[in-house]
This record gives sequence, structure tokens and C-alpha cells, in this order.
Amino acid sequence: MDLMDIYEIDRTVDFILRRNFTRVALQFPDELLKDCTKVVRGLREKIGKLKEQAGVGLFVMADSTYGSCCVDEVGASHINADCVIHYGHTCLSPTSTLPAFFVFGKAMIDVSSCASSILNYASNNSKPFLVLFGLEYAHAIPNIREELVAEASTLSGSKAKTVFHFAEVMCPLINPPDCHKDSGGLLRSVGDGKVSDEPGVAARSRHSIGGLSWELPSGQKMEDYLLLWIGSDNSAFANVVLTFNGCEIVRYDANGNCLGTDFSQQRRILKRRYYLVEKAKDANIVGILVGTLGVAGYLNMIHQMKELIAGAGKKVYTLVMGRPNPAKLANFPECDVFIYVSCAQTALLDSKEFYAPVITPFEAMLAFNRGSEWTGAYVMEFRDLINSSPVEVKSYSEEARFSLVQGRYVEDFDLQEKKVEENEGVLALANATEKALQLQDRSSNSLTKGTVQSGADYFATRSYHGLDMHGDNSMPEPYLIGRTGKASRYQHEEGK
Amino acid sequence: MVKFTAEELRRIMDLKHNIRNMSVIAHVDHGKSTLTDSLVAAAGIIAQEVAGDVRMTDTRADEAERGITIKSTGISLYYEMSDEALKSYKGERHGNEYLINLIDSPGHVDFSSEVTAALRITDGALVVVDCIEGVCVQTETVLRQALGERIRPVLTVNKMDRCFLELQVDGEEAYQTFSRVIENANVIMATYEDPLLGDCQVYPEKGTVAFSAGLHGWAFTLTNFAKMYASKFGVDETKMMERLWGENFFDPATKKWTSKNTGSATCKRGFVQFCYEPIKQIIKTCMNDQKDKLWPMLQKLGVVMKSDEKDLMAKPLMKRVMQTWLPASSALLEMMIFHLPSPATAQRYRVENLYEGPLDDVYANAIRNCDPDAPLMLYVSKMIPASDKGRFFAFGRVFSGKVTTGLKVRIMGPNYVPGEKKDLYVKSVQRTVIWMGKKQETVEDVPCGNTVALVGLDQFITKNATLTNEKEVDAHPIRAMKFSVSPVVRVAVQCKVASDLPKLVEGLKRLAKSDPMVVCSIEESGEHIIAGAGELHLEICLKDLQDDFMGGAEIIKSDPVVSFRETVLEKSCRVVMSKSPNKHNRLYMEARPMEEGLAEAIDDGRVGPRDDPKNRAKILSEEFGWDKDLAKKIWCFGPETTGPNMVVDMCKGVQYLNEIKDSVVAGFQWASKEGVLAEENMRGICFEVCDVVLHADAIHRGGGQVIPTARRVIYASQLTAKPRLLEPVYMVEIQAPEQALGGIYSVLNQKRGHVFEEMQRPGTPLYNIKAYLPVVESFGFSGTLRAATSGQAFPQCVFDHWDMMSSDPLEAGTQAAQLVADIRKRKGLKEQMTPLSEFEDKL
Repeated sequence: MDLMDIYEIDRTVDFILRRNFTRVALQFPDELLKDCTKVVRGLREKIGKLKEQAGVGLFVMADSTYGSCCVDEVGASHINADCVIHYGHTCLSPTSTLPAFFVFGKAMIDVSSCASSILNYASNNSKPFLVLFGLEYAHAIPNIREELVAEASTLSGSKAKTVFHFAEVMCPLINPPDCHKDSGGLLRSVGDGKVSDEPGVAARSRHSIGGLSWELPSGQKMEDYLLLWIGSDNSAFANVVLTFNGCEIVRYDANGNCLGTDFSQQRRILKRRYYLVEKAKDANIVGILVGTLGVAGYLNMIHQMKELIAGAGKKVYTLVMGRPNPAKLANFPECDVFIYVSCAQTALLDSKEFYAPVITPFEAMLAFNRGSEWTGAYVMEFRDLINSSPVEVKSYSEEARFSLVQGRYVEDFDLQEKKVEENEGVLALANATEKALQLQDRSSNSLTKGTVQSGADYFATRSYHGLDMHGDNSMPEPYLIGRTGKASRYQHEEGK
Repeated sequence: MVKFTAEELRRIMDLKHNIRNMSVIAHVDHGKSTLTDSLVAAAGIIAQEVAGDVRMTDTRADEAERGITIKSTGISLYYEMSDEALKSYKGERHGNEYLINLIDSPGHVDFSSEVTAALRITDGALVVVDCIEGVCVQTETVLRQALGERIRPVLTVNKMDRCFLELQVDGEEAYQTFSRVIENANVIMATYEDPLLGDCQVYPEKGTVAFSAGLHGWAFTLTNFAKMYASKFGVDETKMMERLWGENFFDPATKKWTSKNTGSATCKRGFVQFCYEPIKQIIKTCMNDQKDKLWPMLQKLGVVMKSDEKDLMAKPLMKRVMQTWLPASSALLEMMIFHLPSPATAQRYRVENLYEGPLDDVYANAIRNCDPDAPLMLYVSKMIPASDKGRFFAFGRVFSGKVTTGLKVRIMGPNYVPGEKKDLYVKSVQRTVIWMGKKQETVEDVPCGNTVALVGLDQFITKNATLTNEKEVDAHPIRAMKFSVSPVVRVAVQCKVASDLPKLVEGLKRLAKSDPMVVCSIEESGEHIIAGAGELHLEICLKDLQDDFMGGAEIIKSDPVVSFRETVLEKSCRVVMSKSPNKHNRLYMEARPMEEGLAEAIDDGRVGPRDDPKNRAKILSEEFGWDKDLAKKIWCFGPETTGPNMVVDMCKGVQYLNEIKDSVVAGFQWASKEGVLAEENMRGICFEVCDVVLHADAIHRGGGQVIPTARRVIYASQLTAKPRLLEPVYMVEIQAPEQALGGIYSVLNQKRGHVFEEMQRPGTPLYNIKAYLPVVESFGFSGTLRAATSGQAFPQCVFDHWDMMSSDPLEAGTQAAQLVADIRKRKGLKEQMTPLSEFEDKL
């Protein structure tokens, strides 16, 4: 396929010209960056042909601060762009300020072998199929559909019973809501929660995930369907597996032309997330990692998380650090757990390398709302959380909490009590000083640390408090000659 | 049975000198419960209205089924002494009525934690020893625990009937057997002697040893016989008792006492002549149905039989006669009343062991004096599941003051630190309850010196706690209990139906509460784990979980899993170095195995992070040959800041070293919890920081750079120091007759066990075998052993030590490598270990 076709130059130009954008940001993920000059050239030529006065500025954006699947609105606003064209894999998260146009790209797929292997599998299965796919295969879906229908009709009787439902791609064009200033743009709920239509009309439940949406006839649940995923084993697929963890799932791999049914690894992820939730329950200090500055509603989510955590009697810090990595997070060893507020497809960060677990807002809600239980249902997109359960300070029983991680009952600090203490007016400072002294005293004598409830407490328990004072020696120290050379190998290390 | 109302019982509870709190402890199958039964049958207190239709001892169906005790159960006994009997009692008393709170405890090692909980709330212990099997491993364990808690023991040599009926040994041989049993017990007591408790050894001639046949319901102490013969010989009872034990011989022909066997045919030891022979004779006569001979003999002894009993034959007749002649209840209860301390006496010396606070404050004094008017001090030692599912009684002992219904109490949990608010609650007691048989009776209040069950506090007490009055903010808690077994066997559980997960979590919570030993936790992979002391313990826990705590929801359990430890065999072959992510900082480290015994010393708390550095340096240099200066340079212990691994600073003159110490410690805590081989805990590794190169700018040597690097360099040094796996090993004790030995050896061989001691019990056909057995191999061991020995051998397994597996886990195809692969697979890790090159950097 030629680049014009893969990058949908014609449609893009049509979009730009029809809406009279003059400054257009083209966002490329790292792996497509090699094609950007060709794409820009193609766009220029096309625009030049159709529009006389050259007035459209095209800017290439690369190395986005957060996940490359989201629209980098902050980056685009540096050049005052008035729209973003996003290339490559995307999560289709709604934007908050700029309109965005998505070009998914077109991956190769062998339509007939895909259809035949699906039919082959379907012949042993009585459940109806729901076909989901990676967006890069969206272009081939109509063909596959036709092929399936054609082949199914040629088959006889019982086998033809299998029903195929196809998900649809949501519009590859996102307009931010007009009133973004006040609510962060949450007008329509596009979650996978059920949104029933007008009363009177036969209620059909509507689901959507990662840019795909579909309707199920009333009375049917997702569990009644067998999910068929066409595409690679990427984060979008992982999302599907986690969200619909009750469903049977098969994956058609377009590169290998084969069907895969073994997803124990994905199931394992779910259990692992469960462990992380349990671990988060034991946390005293929580860091909120801002993982997006574009996805609509992220500010609401952060506020909601803050309230939630404060309500649970824990201390919260908000950190903005771009894409998190182990070294960055380990700079905050006082945080027992991090909540990563980001788009659904970058949300799952799990690596043994992280010093503290990183969880999603949904998991945080499970962990910090006492009384909420892990039922297996899983929500990835935080948009769906904002409305779902308003943070309420429930009057939970005072029973000590059982920590599964530690295998015993533990007690949570009660923040309300702490607040009262802090507000005790004139003596507050004196008390704080006294406390600081106590802690310091303890740490100098022993090698243990008490539990800490805030960053300040944490630093008080550290053995290193700043400059080392060397008692009564007032003589000036002789100066020392430092190291010379490069950091990777100083001169005195040459010999080693 | 004594029929009482709650009020009557409550009245005696005020007489603090007339209360005896005692536990019955012994090796498994030595007859605790049977003996207890005979006491309860005679003196058990039951509520008046339910008398007749209760049986005291069948509390759990599975206990009856397996024939072993699983949970300790408390029963109150009432005994009225005659004035005559009390004539020689020197201690304080109020009248002749006595209340004995008795706790029957399990004998199987897996349930040792129940024994610990029982000992805490009692002052005395009746140690039951099988006269043939003698002192066994569990006898020793429980005795040691009892003495550690300053519990005064008395001994009963049980299953006397076996001597007469089964073995038919003659008097002198029996005497030798008994005296050996007593001697063995005394050796243990002398080993663990406590100066404040004084001499705890037991002597038949002092009345602190009884001889009993629990199954037949009879027992005696030498006091019984001394009373009989004292007048006949015209000496006082004490003198007579001395003559009835030890090297005292009597020749009826010459009517002379000698201290040596004169060699004449009629000369016999006092015990044989006056105690053993008469009993033997009676039993023989009964068994042979020689009733014409029997009645005159009984008449002489002053034993009156009821007329319907006279029609009995053989064994039932013998039982009846012996019970009437030497009733077990009076012999044992009198021994307890005479020789076990009342709460008032016991708390005087136990206070030091119990109270954590200063020993001269008001609470210490209150406990010391067992003062009912002082502030409340109550220790909850276990939680008992109540009949309404999900609730628990808090069962414990009042050490001072009174606990009343509706009282607001301060609950100090095990993690409470005086002056802080952690693990502290103030709540009201909804009801105070005493047990009367199976029935619980609510009473207004319970004074000090008694056991009590409280309702309405279960949400705030996890496993144990100290309670005091609401206002007593200065009170310190009572010391936490120490358990002698550790949970080394684990199973993963999951529910059959995924939606039952909340039920499972709730069930695990309750299980954790109901059993002092079990640990319910979650693995990194998200699996729920139940850890217990042994296979049997786990089996019981799983049954409780499914039936009682989850309402019958089905669970699937994995095969038992054993946790391993990672250690190193040698010092690292070179100093390894890792660079920080920004390449500006370098850590150089080496790993070496700790000196032998040091890891154990850390486990026992002899060496630990909270020690005074000077003391620690002293122990390390004197016992483990450390350099004194080096001992002061320990940065930390880990995992969990207390574990048996260390980081030691060996650097010289490194700039900014202090600044990264916390980061290295954090990295070490992390790495020592998840070792490089299979993410098991590390054990017995000492990491030496050899050199450090740091960036001059503080921003480039922060935690973010150093913590991950410390972890990597620790892994690298572990890998270069010949890493090895440690597996847990049980000490197994098996007692069996000679013909079963072959079977035992072959089973042990097959299970990688090895015998390190084999001893014949003198005077018996029984052999005592001690062996080490890897815990991994112990699953199904009892069953296999039983099959191989046609049911004659019954093992007792206690976790003993960690044993290094000799094979190299880094070499493909070895047993250790296979194990590592299996663990990694179970944990959902990459099957291949991360290679050294991932952790070690080159300049």
C-alpha cells in the first residue's frame, strides 16, 4: 500500500480545508516518525493543489510527554495549533480543548484466511460472536464481514447459526465540548456502563471500549458473547481482557494468521491487580501521578482522588513527571503507592522495577473506599468512574482492617482525629517540634523506622538530615582535590 | 456433676484464695481429655436447669471423629474439701469450697498455639505422662512453655491400667519405669528452672505426683496410701509418704524398714509393698471374678459398693471397684488444691513476666496483689467463635479489678505503644459471660483471678489484647504471647465460583481471628495463602474456613506449598559494581554468608536492630568473631528491618555516604524480601558495601538513582556468591515398637529424611526415633508411615531449622534449579532467572 493511502492524505486534507484550520499539529508516535516528512510533503502538495493562498502551517510533534496514544494538547498549544492530526495507535480518549482527527493507519491482513479460521473456530461454538478489533485493522473489517457472511451462507444448516456482531469504530474525529471551561467536558457519558435509550424504545445496552462501540439486544449480557479480537496483543487488547474478564475471548493474530485462546497471562494480570489493590490498602502516603494533560476530565479525577484519599485518612501528594519510570518514582520513596491518572491504555503500569506499586484510579477507589469489595468487575477509563460513585464519607464500622498483605489486622490512622490535633492553636507548633525531636531521637539510636504518615514524618525518620556537623572542631578543613574525568569512568578509576 | 446456678458460682469466684486456674498439658494421646472427662464427671459445674442432657467434652464433631483435641476448652469444677483433709494445708483459704477452672489443651504439635494461649491464663499445669511411653517431645515442649510462663506443674503418671492389664509387669519393674518417667520430667523442669518460681521438680513423696488410670477413672497420690498406713505404723503422714517412695524397703517378716533390699524374699520396696501390690491384687481378684475373696478385702479398705454394682463382672466390676476405692477426681483435685497456687499466690511472682510497664506502678501492684478493687487488668488470650456466625467471644483472664457488663474498657492491642493512639480503642463490654458446661451464663461481673468471656469487643480485638478501665491511660499492656511453632506450611485457596471472593476474604479474616497461629495473606501473584503449623493444622483451618466462616461456599485448595529461603555459600568471587540509571553513581558490593548461628540469633531477637549498639558489638565480637569496629557499622537488618540479613559498611572515606544510606537501606529491604533466585526471602547473607562513587551534585544521587541501583548490586553480589536455596526441615519424633522400625526407616529414606537418634525406652518394647525430614516431603508422611507400619507409628513434626540444599540452582538440571523454576512458574515470573549481566555493570 502506498503512503497516501495508509496515511489517508485525502481525507486529512479534506478535514483541514473544510474546517479552515490554519495551524495544524501532526502528532506521530516514535515508530512512525520515519514517515513524517513524506506525510508532510504529501499533505503540502495536496493542500497546495486545492487552496491557492498558502495559509496552512503544518507542524510535526514527536516524543510526546505522556503516552503516544493520547492527543498531546499541551504540545500542540505551544505552537497555537487549532487542531491535531493524530497518527498511529490511539486510545480515542476525548480531548478537552482541541479538535482532533485520527489516522489509524492500515495494517496488512489476509481477509480470507482470517474469515476461514474464524468460521472454523465458530463451527465448534454455539455462542454468538462479538468481533472487536485493533483500530489499525478497521479498514479491513467490512471485507471480513462480507467474507464471513458469504462463507457462512454457503455452509449448511446448523453451522450457519453462529451469529456475528461487529463493533463499530467511533468517529475518527473528536470535537472538544464547547463548555470545556467549567466541567472539563463531561457532557456525554461514553463509558462501557449501560446507557439505556429513551424509555419506550426497546432498551438496548450500549458498550464502548477503546474507540469501539457496539449495542447488545436487551436482556443480553456481555458474558453471553464470545469475544473475538482481531489484532495484535497490545494494550488495547489487554484492556478488553481486563474489562470483560468474565467473557470467553479468542484472538486472531493477523501477522501469524492464527487464532489464540490461551490468555492465562492476562488473567494473571487481573489477579496481580487484585494484589496491588490489597497492597494499596496498607499505604499511608499516596502519590497521584498526573499521566495526562489532555484526556477530558483528568482534573476532576485528580480532585476526586484527593478527596477519596483524604477521606480514607491518608496523606496525598500530586506529582507531575511525564512518563513515569522506576528512577523517577524512586525519588519519592515516602510514597507507599502511586495512582496513575491517565488514559485507559497507558494506565496499566506494572513492573517489578517500581519501588512502590502503581495503580489505576479505579483500583484506588476499591482500595480507599472502605467497604467496597473486589467483585471482578474492572473499569479502565476514569471517565466512567467520575459519575459512578461520588465520594462519600461513609460511616464504616470501626473494626480494625484486616490486611491480607501483612496477614494480620492493622489499624488505619484516623485523619479526623489528626486534624483536630493539628488545629489545636497555640500549642500546635510546640507539639510538632516535640514530635520531631522524639522521632529524631529514636532514629539515632536504632536502625528501625516507625510508620510515617506524611512526607515530613518520613524525612524526620531518615538517618541523614542534611549537613553533617562535626562537633567542636572549628579549625578550617584543608581543601580536598576532587575527582577528574568523565562520570562514566573517572581518572583515578582508569586502572580498575 | 455439681448442679449450680450462676449466682452460686459467682459467689465462689470472689474467694481468690480458693480458686485454681490450671491447664492440662501433655503429649498427644497420653490421655489428657480422658482424664479431664473423669474429673468433669465428678466435679464439673453445670447449670442447674440443663443438668442431665449435656455432655461436657464433645465440643466439635471433628474432635470426636479423629480422637484428638483441636481447640482448648475451659471447664469449671467445684470441689469441697473436708476439714480433716485441709488440716495440713498451710496456705490462706476461705472455707472449704474450691473453684477449679480447668483448660484441656490439645497435645498435637500442630496446635501448640492453643496450649500457649491456655497457659497464659492459668497458674498451674497438670502434666500428664503415659507411664509406658514416658516423656515425649511434646511433653517437653509444653513443659518448657509452662515454665517460661511461670506456671507451676504437677505430674500425673497416667495409663496405670496398662501396667496391670497389658504388660503385667511386676512391682519393682513398674517402680523403675515410674521413677524414670518422673526423673525425665524433672530433668526438663530443672533445665528450664526459673529462680522466682523456685523448685518446680515433682516428687511422689511430696504429693506432687499422682498415678492415674484415666480410662478407668481412678488415681492416687502417695497421700492416699500414707493416710491409710500412718496410723497402722504409728508415724505421721509425711514420714509415711517418704517411706512409700525411693530407697525404702519393708520386710513383713521382720517388720523392719531398711534403706536397702536385704535380699530376703519378703523384703520389698515400700511403694511396691503398700501401693502397687494391693492395687494389683484387687484388680486381679476383680478380673478373675473371685467375689468371695473380694468383698472381705474391700471391707478392710472401707470401700462400700452399692448392691447393683455387686452384680458386675470382670472389667466393669474392676472399674467400679477402683473408682470407688481411689476416685480420680478427689486424688487429682486434692493434689491441685494443695500444690498448685491460687491466683493470689501466683500473680505475686508472675507479674514480672506479665506486665510490660514499670513493676512499681499501680497496675503492677494490682496484678501482684490480685486486688479486686484495683484498676482492671485483663488479658484476652484467644477468640472463640460464637454460635451466631461471624461473632466471637473474647476469652481471657482477669488479673486485677473486676470486669462488669457495660463497663467501658480501654483495649490495648498487640501493637499498642504507651502514649500513642495506635491499636487502641475504648469500647463497652456488652456482656460478661461464664461457661457452665456448654451453656454460657451471663453474670453481672467477674472479679480478678478468674477466666471470663466477653461479648461485644470482637471487632476491636484481633487475636489478643489487654483490657483496662477507660480512665487508666497510663497502664501498659500485658506482654504478648510467644509461640513455639511457626507457620511453615502454606496452601493457596481460591473459590470455586469467582463471585464468592468477598465471602472468601471475609472468611479468611475470621479464620485469622479464631486461630492464634494461622496466617492468612495474599501473594504477589494475587493468590490467597493460608499458612499453618502443619498439615493437620491446615486441614482443620480449611475445614473451619469452608464450613463455619464461608457458609459452605466451595473452595479449591492448591497442593501444600513450602516457602524457601535464599542464601549464599561463599563470599562473592569478586567485588561487583552497578551503576545508577544516570551512570553517575556506582555502588560496589560483596555478599558473604553469615557466621553460623548468627541468623538464628537474629531470629531469636538476641541480635537485632533495636539493641544498644554497644551490646550488639559485644555479642558479635565475642560469639561470632566480628571485628568490634565493624560491628558498629551495621546499616540495617532485613527484610522488614528485623530479618536475618545485614548490610555492613566497609567503605573508607567516601564522601556523601551518609546521604545515600537510607536509599541503600530501602533498596536492601526490597531486595532481601525478594531474592534473585525465585523472589523468596533471603536468609543469612551479609552484604558488604565496599566502595561507593557518587555524583558531586545532590540532585543526581537521590533515591531515584540509588534505590534501584542498590537493589541491582545486591542481586549481583548474591549471584556471584554461589547462591543456594534453604529448605525448611522438621524434626520428627516417632515412637513405635521394634517390629515397626523397618517400615519407619524405609519411609524416612524414601522421603529424604535421616534418623539422628534411636533409643529404646528402658523397660518397654518401644523405640524412640528422632529424625530430620524436609517439610516439602512431609505431606502425606503420617499416612504413608501408618500404612508402612500397620498403624503402629505416629509422627510428631516440629519445624526445626533451615537446611541448605547442596545443588547449585544456577546449574541447569539440578534439583535446586528445578525447584527455582517451579517457584517462579507458580509466582508468574519469567521462567528464566535474570542473568548476572542485567545487574552488574562494567566500568
